[in-house]
Amino acid sequence: MVRRPSNSIASKLTRMNLLVSAIALVLACSGFVAYDFVSFRLNIVRDLSMQAQLAGSNSVAALVFDDADSADRTVAAFGVSRNVLASRIYDAKGQPFATYLRDRDEKIPAMPQIAAGKDEAYRFEGGHVILAHTILFEGKRSGYILVEQDMERIVERMENYGEIAAVMLGFSLLVVVFVSRFAGRAIANPVVELADAARRVSKDKDYSVRVNSTNEEGELALLVDTFNQMLEQIQQSHQELEKRVQERTAQLVAANKELESFSYSVSHDLRAPLRSIDGFSLALEEDLGDHLTAQAKNYIQRVRAATQRMGMLIDDLLNLSRVTRAEMRKERVDLSGMAKAVASELVRADGERNVEWVIPDGMEAYGDSRLLRIVLDNLLGNAWKYTSKHDHARIEFSQERHNGGYAFYVKDDGAGFDPAYTQRLFGAFQRLHGITEFSGTGIGLATVHRIIHRHGGEVWADGAVEKGATFYFTI
Amino acid sequence: MSVAVVLPLATLACCPSLLYSQQSKPSQYQIEATYLYNFSRFVAWPQQASTAKGGAFGICVLGTDPFGPSLDTILSGENVGGRMLIARRISKAQDASGCQILFVAASEETRLGDILQALDDSSVLTVSDIPEFSKHGGMIQFVMAGDKVRFEVNLKKASDAGLTLSADLLKVAVAVRRDPQPGT
Repeated sequence: MVRRPSNSIASKLTRMNLLVSAIALVLACSGFVAYDFVSFRLNIVRDLSMQAQLAGSNSVAALVFDDADSADRTVAAFGVSRNVLASRIYDAKGQPFATYLRDRDEKIPAMPQIAAGKDEAYRFEGGHVILAHTILFEGKRSGYILVEQDMERIVERMENYGEIAAVMLGFSLLVVVFVSRFAGRAIANPVVELADAARRVSKDKDYSVRVNSTNEEGELALLVDTFNQMLEQIQQSHQELEKRVQERTAQLVAANKELESFSYSVSHDLRAPLRSIDGFSLALEEDLGDHLTAQAKNYIQRVRAATQRMGMLIDDLLNLSRVTRAEMRKERVDLSGMAKAVASELVRADGERNVEWVIPDGMEAYGDSRLLRIVLDNLLGNAWKYTSKHDHARIEFSQERHNGGYAFYVKDDGAGFDPAYTQRLFGAFQRLHGITEFSGTGIGLATVHRIIHRHGGEVWADGAVEKGATFYFTI
Repeated sequence: MSVAVVLPLATLACCPSLLYSQQSKPSQYQIEATYLYNFSRFVAWPQQASTAKGGAFGICVLGTDPFGPSLDTILSGENVGGRMLIARRISKAQDASGCQILFVAASEETRLGDILQALDDSSVLTVSDIPEFSKHGGMIQFVMAGDKVRFEVNLKKASDAGLTLSADLLKVAVAVRRDPQPGT
């Protein structure tokens, strides 16, 4: 069974049916009542006219023989009708002749104007009808009769109508509720099933769901069929996409592995010839030291320097590929302590320099400590290296607020760089300074970049020529 | 209680009603003359009586006429069931053969017994203001009630003569005799 919440389409349909039925019933009842009010009022007038005519013709003898007592008895007969408030007979001159009053304090109202050529007139006044009729004797006007009647009957009738209408309305609405419960299901059920299927698709990502198509034709059946077709298409393209992604991933993994093993073996295999070149160059220098000219000695030293530099390059390349391949083991890392350790190593290597270190305590990050150590080695090492031409230097490792989190930075007041080349800083083998000016392979920042990215962070730089440089990173 | 009665008085003025004379205060005889005319509307005569004497409907005065011209004025131009109303003055009861209504004037009081006897077989509505007229066998007798003219009816006598008096007429009569009076 399908769930049926209170704001479901079925109860909405029921409510709509109720509203429409109620409006239709109320309108119809109003129409009937209005029609009946008018026609019943006319009936009352017709009825009253007949009574007036009857009383009038019964008063003819009294009028022509001037017998007011007899006329009084005639109009007193109106006492039978509880709705007649007053009646009065006038003689031909319009003088009051006989009077009936239901209550003593009743007033005789003004007589309605009888139009020329008519023998009757009436008007409605204050919920009463006042009717005047000419009394004819042998075709001659011998007097007038006036009757005033209240409209209690019409009020009663309207009240009865109201009660009947209320009962009918209640009963009809009850029937509407039952009927629309059953009739509404034909519309509501497919929609509810559709909604249910859509919810399952969006929540469970289950594209194999299908909605039972209804037997009927029309928009709902079309909707269900289209929905099923859409699901079919989504399912197909989903499967296709997945298959393609798997293929591509496999290709990528294979290519990456190939590349890594290639670069690893290249770096590794390049070392053997290098060692030979360096070793034999050293042997040459030592064995033939005295026989060599100053120029030849210089050449040999340059060969050795070049091979050593190439060795460093190969080390860095190996490092880079290791960084890419290494598995991450994340933990809390005390960056402050790590930075201080790096700084003291740098100072131990060259204690002659006058460098001011600023490293506040308490900086922490969540990451792989081995890789973060490489980051700090590179950034602090760079700062150390590019301030070496200055007599006094200041190197700061600290953090600042950045986009709701913290960004760490390494700031120096060394050689700096041209901001125009900021984009090239983090590429492998990119160097902004000549090799003779500062030593290096141009792989350090590329390694930093790769490590930070593997941690899901960002790295960027800020600087100017001879104004120092600042390297920021987030983790 | 002040009642504003709105009536088409103009219509009334143009067609003078014959139910009352035109004066604001009609005299007793003017009222009686009107009543004589009115009786013609509330009484039905037997068939042979109504067809006699060339179709005219006679309202006759026996004896000294107390009405003067007012009776003629009232009757002029009027008719009953298509028969013209005419006023006639007669001196003997035997001359009443063309009369449907006979008013016996006060001058005839002494001869009343003979007059009524003479009319016994005819269908004539006898009317008079002579005291005890109805008691002595007259059909309608005018009586004064204050300043109003009222009348008594001897229904037995009228029925015997074949006349039918309408219930409305009896309703406005001050007294209706239905049985023969002792001593008549």
